[in-house]
Amino acid sequence: MLSIERKDLLKNIEQSYAEGYTYLVKITAVDYVKTINLIYILRSLDKNQDKILEVILDPADLSVETITHIYQGADWYEREMQEMFGIKIKGRRAKRLLLEKWDGKGYPLRKNFEWGKSYEKE
Amino acid sequence: MAITRINIGPVHPSTHGVARLVVDLDGDTIVNVEPHIGYLHRGVEKLVENRMYMQSPPYMEKIDYVAPMAVDELYVATVEKALNVEVSEKAAYARIILLELQRIASHLFFIGSVTNDLGQSFTGFMWGFMDRDKILKLLENATGQRMFYVNMRLGGINREFPQDFEYQTKEFLDYLEKRLKDYENFIEKNPIFIQRMKGIGVLNIDDAINLGVTGHVLRASGVKYDVRKNNTYYKYSELNFHTKILSDGDNLSRFRIRMMEIRESIRLIRDSFYKIQKADGSMIGMPVKLFSPKPTNKISIVNRELPRGEGLMYMVADDKKPYRLSIRAPTFINLAALNKIAKGHKLADLFSIFGTLDMVMADVDR
Repeated sequence: MLSIERKDLLKNIEQSYAEGYTYLVKITAVDYVKTINLIYILRSLDKNQDKILEVILDPADLSVETITHIYQGADWYEREMQEMFGIKIKGRRAKRLLLEKWDGKGYPLRKNFEWGKSYEKE
Repeated sequence: MAITRINIGPVHPSTHGVARLVVDLDGDTIVNVEPHIGYLHRGVEKLVENRMYMQSPPYMEKIDYVAPMAVDELYVATVEKALNVEVSEKAAYARIILLELQRIASHLFFIGSVTNDLGQSFTGFMWGFMDRDKILKLLENATGQRMFYVNMRLGGINREFPQDFEYQTKEFLDYLEKRLKDYENFIEKNPIFIQRMKGIGVLNIDDAINLGVTGHVLRASGVKYDVRKNNTYYKYSELNFHTKILSDGDNLSRFRIRMMEIRESIRLIRDSFYKIQKADGSMIGMPVKLFSPKPTNKISIVNRELPRGEGLMYMVADDKKPYRLSIRAPTFINLAALNKIAKGHKLADLFSIFGTLDMVMADVDR
């Protein structure tokens, strides 16, 4: 697993793509309370190898660049992360929520999320 | 021409669960499809954070209710990796037999639902479900449950195979091989079927990789990727089977890949029954205890070839419970590609495309 700075994310992704990691397996995130880590799992189909990039984010500022112009498949993953962790994806227009029935208040996969508590919509 | 927007679902017989599709049409031609998902969102990823490791398999089985055992196995394998539990040789072969039977059952379900979606006739539907039911009976004999088995244990499975299981399974496989010829003649070579499937819903190889589609959709577009071969696990490396690919990327290819995969699975099961006789170790895993051994690996990533494509779990382990479990559901990413595939086709073809992508909405929403 390769830890990278937020500002280097796009550069690293582009470089990985050029190296042959053309298949995006998954974007996920883990809430470690002090930090929220965003994880990109990329795959090179030729080399049969996976590459994992980890971006460590401060919960106070969760904005990252979108990678949908490189991997079209990133679209739904980014939206999922937006809803579940409140990660703000720069460079993409606001869309309706991906998970229809969710009212969009609070971020359910964060550790400080409590059921029944009312959250204000941001 | 004016664009007409129509709404399909959320409850529609062909959406395989609760999916809503908002379709923009120019006359009869699809301009844009937007799937609205989340009607079956249960928050499995959050639920397991509050449960001991071995309390979660029943939740995992409900993720993909057409192939419950496969998802269960993926979860248990992730826990095994975190806790550093070894799977004996015999247990590995036993799991392969069960998983491949599950794969065939899931593929037969697919054949049934696709022919039903086409409105072709009721025969394909009845055949597919009838033969699937025979497998469910076999699995009931082996595990004690008909659909939700919960029979994976740390390091093995919950009980030995019954004595008649091998004989019954082999008898069924002989039957299925003959039966597949019927499927071939009635469905695969049927001119009406071919007319409705060939050249419809084409996904070329570059788009398939860029969209990140998986499983039979990826292989139908010409990418030779199968987790069982490329990132092999258990004893798949010692068994004789091939990764089938086709290059057209249309509905027919996706259907034919599934038919070929059933034949490969039959070979795998026969081969495993032969090799399990000489395998060492015990088939039985640890009994379920709420307090399992302490995890040794903090982060474990496991991927498996589920019947619907590649499933992946990313688990951050805590002492007794998973700190975070992230699930890559294969159908989630295949559905994201629907817009790209369906664009430019007629509305009538939308459900044959949706059908061959093999959606299980519970798997999409998690």
